[in-house]
Amino acid sequence: MTKHEIEITVNGRKRRLTVKPNDLLLNVIREDLVLTGTKYGCGIGECAACTVLMEGKPVLACMILAVAAHGKNITTIEGLADGDKLVPVQQAFIDHGAIQCGFCTPGMVLTSHALLNENPDPSEEEIRDYLRGNYCRCTGYTAIVKAVQSCAKKNQ
Amino acid sequence: MGKMKGAQIVGQVTARKDGVAKVTGQLPYASDINIPGMMYGVVLRSPYAHAEIVSIDTSEAEAMGAVCLTYEDINPILYNERSVSVPDATFRDRTVLPKKARHFGEPIAAVAAETEEEAYKAMKALKVEYKVLPAVFTAEEAMKPGAPQLYDKVYLGDKEVKIENNVAVIRNIEEGDVEEGFRQADLIVEETYKTQRTYHSQLETKGAVCKPEPDGGITIWATAQSIHANRQLIAQIYNIPLSKVNVKRTAIGGGFGGSIQVNTVTPICAGLALKARRPVKLISAREEDFYSHAKYPNIFHVKLGVTKDGIITAAHVKALVEIGAHHIQALAYLGCVSGWFASLYKYQSNIKFEGKAVYTNKVPACALQGYGNPDVNFAIESTIDIIAEKLNMDPIELRLKNYRGTGDEFWGQGPTIRSIIKSCGVEESLVKGRELFNWKERTKPSEKTGHIRRGIGVARGFHTSGTGGPKEGEVIDYSSDYIKINEDGSVDVVCPVVDHGGGTWDAITKIVADVLQVPLDMVEISPSDTRTTGYDVCTHATRGVFCGGGAAYFVAHKVKERLLEFAARIMLENPIDLDVMRDDELGQGVVYVKNFPEKRITIGKVAKTAQINSWGTIAYADSYRQKNCPPCFVAHFVEVEVNTKTGEISFPKVLIYGDCGTPVNPDLVEGQLIGAFNRGMGFAIYEDTLYEENEIGNLKCHGYMVDYKTPTSYEMPLAENIIVRLADTYEPTGPFGAKGMGEAAFSSVAAAISNAIYNAIGIRFTELPLTPEKVLKAIKEKGI
Repeated sequence: MTKHEIEITVNGRKRRLTVKPNDLLLNVIREDLVLTGTKYGCGIGECAACTVLMEGKPVLACMILAVAAHGKNITTIEGLADGDKLVPVQQAFIDHGAIQCGFCTPGMVLTSHALLNENPDPSEEEIRDYLRGNYCRCTGYTAIVKAVQSCAKKNQ
Repeated sequence: MGKMKGAQIVGQVTARKDGVAKVTGQLPYASDINIPGMMYGVVLRSPYAHAEIVSIDTSEAEAMGAVCLTYEDINPILYNERSVSVPDATFRDRTVLPKKARHFGEPIAAVAAETEEEAYKAMKALKVEYKVLPAVFTAEEAMKPGAPQLYDKVYLGDKEVKIENNVAVIRNIEEGDVEEGFRQADLIVEETYKTQRTYHSQLETKGAVCKPEPDGGITIWATAQSIHANRQLIAQIYNIPLSKVNVKRTAIGGGFGGSIQVNTVTPICAGLALKARRPVKLISAREEDFYSHAKYPNIFHVKLGVTKDGIITAAHVKALVEIGAHHIQALAYLGCVSGWFASLYKYQSNIKFEGKAVYTNKVPACALQGYGNPDVNFAIESTIDIIAEKLNMDPIELRLKNYRGTGDEFWGQGPTIRSIIKSCGVEESLVKGRELFNWKERTKPSEKTGHIRRGIGVARGFHTSGTGGPKEGEVIDYSSDYIKINEDGSVDVVCPVVDHGGGTWDAITKIVADVLQVPLDMVEISPSDTRTTGYDVCTHATRGVFCGGGAAYFVAHKVKERLLEFAARIMLENPIDLDVMRDDELGQGVVYVKNFPEKRITIGKVAKTAQINSWGTIAYADSYRQKNCPPCFVAHFVEVEVNTKTGEISFPKVLIYGDCGTPVNPDLVEGQLIGAFNRGMGFAIYEDTLYEENEIGNLKCHGYMVDYKTPTSYEMPLAENIIVRLADTYEPTGPFGAKGMGEAAFSSVAAAISNAIYNAIGIRFTELPLTPEKVLKAIKEKGI
């Protein structure tokens, strides 16, 4: 299979990679870049455990070919905090008991962060709607919704 | 176990210790482990529900460079994946890979190759010749004469057991005088209930990474609720001394009972690694995970007798359980179900249970949060509401008259493990709950109008906290810890207990911090594995805090004794005159003289002095067994809206009243209660693993999560409409008064929802799930 040279910026660092045309962005992130915070939950876009930010928008890394990410800016969960300084929604997840097993947490945090960038003052309905594609079996979502709500501008 | 003195960490909301690692993606799960030179494993799964495997040709796959594993490579030892029961009470019917496939999706062979893609290609190149056999998919069909037989014989402990009519096990229990009890009754109610095969749908699919070691041993990272269960089984199958099998404790992406047993893929991965003499990673695809395990489906026939004053005089439950292709301890399951039923109400101690578990060609059934408790709770709690209506009695009053509470016996793990209830929040939860929920404004179904009908329902439940009783029973229960004080006064806790995310590790560190009176950030759970820890049976049966925390409480007290001995030497005092207290300004625990608190020394100074003087490390290691199995209680008050035009159900409001004794992590207890409500909604109105009506017995959802509907953020009640309250109780046998919560939280959700639906539309449902199709059909039949 012909291999392709791609260049993606991951967490602020330019990475040159040789990938096959059928390599998924998820596998390149997890295996080639060893950024294992991006999780596999289904591989076919059902659960959003593999959410990363592409140009600031949440995308499912299992649904994107690595070649399609050429030239793009990707943020994975490892690159969201500024060093030790967590972004507000990361801290809010800790403060609101919004974490249980933690397997959905990277995808949830990135999706919530993107929502707050798009809409700094989301209502509960808007939060629930935005997060409905992110699967969580542990929390019942309520603590997650509350964590995101606490980051809304009106609650700061 | 010890009242608290002064301000304590137990009971405070604190930031969970693994929080930063989890929100930054740095906590490794089994699938995140990468080892240089690692190969990737893929499993070939049966395309038939029932077929003999005549031959497997691996030559083409091997020519591609793959390492192949088939039945020929495997020690044909029969085992049960679940090992929490004692060996004599454990059925054994399976091998790592079978000679005969007994369900669609059963692992038949496996390959390992340099990449996952190559492994898939090699797997596709395996040539299997099957002799397809007729299959059977329901318990009723399976028991008929002439039905296809899954097994001729299996083993119970070392005893051979002949299997007839696919009946895996029968368990009957009778206490008191049931016939006399029914004679005393003024009213007898009988009803049949069915609960379905749900799927755990934990977000992390099951998998393992196995690394063969130069000494002939193996190191394993696996999705597991018990590292020691994995170690013992792998050692047994591959004939390796336990000392050379090291199972590393990792984070687990959701348990829900699905990894109490050693996952089917783990011994397969170990077999590949040992054969390849290289590390192998084998992670199930989601579609495969759907075919690994499911919840036991049940048919319950319930008969309750009651006097006109509302005293239940006798109870008879028949359970028919369809267990699928393998026996993951239906003997224990039936025992537990009898106990969940028997412990819910007093029934004047006249109890009869007849349980039968039957093999079919479906995915093997196993525990799912509650181990049959939510299922039998749905049956009993629905029947209680039927009785209340017939007696024209308030359903809460009927429950208050009959529940088992303080001083009564509780069956924590079937009939062989019982203890006396010493703390009970049932009355508080029902009495205060009904006020909070405006119960008195509840109207009758006949008074509702319009196409959106609201109803209110209640149900109560419980679960055990662990599986210990005064007398040892069929189930193993103890935990182990090694706790040491470091030379700066910080504390390491080395323990085998797995935390599913519910906060077990946080609870253990808080308990240790309070016993030793050190600040919470001075106590850490060490990374651990089976080589460095004593045995812990499993994080199951809601035992993490009560048993795991109980062991930590016990061992920490032993460490405290040593600490005081060493401090006494330094301070020239008698150890009995000393105690410890937390000094938040110093950021340390201190040892002080009880009647002269100004005389004090930091714990760190004691440990450092002991080290410099070569007295030794202040440490202790031991195992500890809880001798009680206190029930944690819950009551669910649910308001539903039924759309009579679509059959859809929504949840405007819910009150969850829990009783976990002292809540060690109050915010995480709330999280358990709300999370379980969400899963309970799924159990009640959405979820089922339906099978195609064909001979190959594949799932209708094909293993796709989108075709297996679970409740999302969107279907949950609004945050402000979920009210959580905790009863004010103290469990005298638990660490700082704590008992469990996890599985209790799930126990009565479905019953409460069904009772609320009855209140809304006057239709009593007896078969879960209550999908819109089912509800709408019933509404049309009733002519609403």
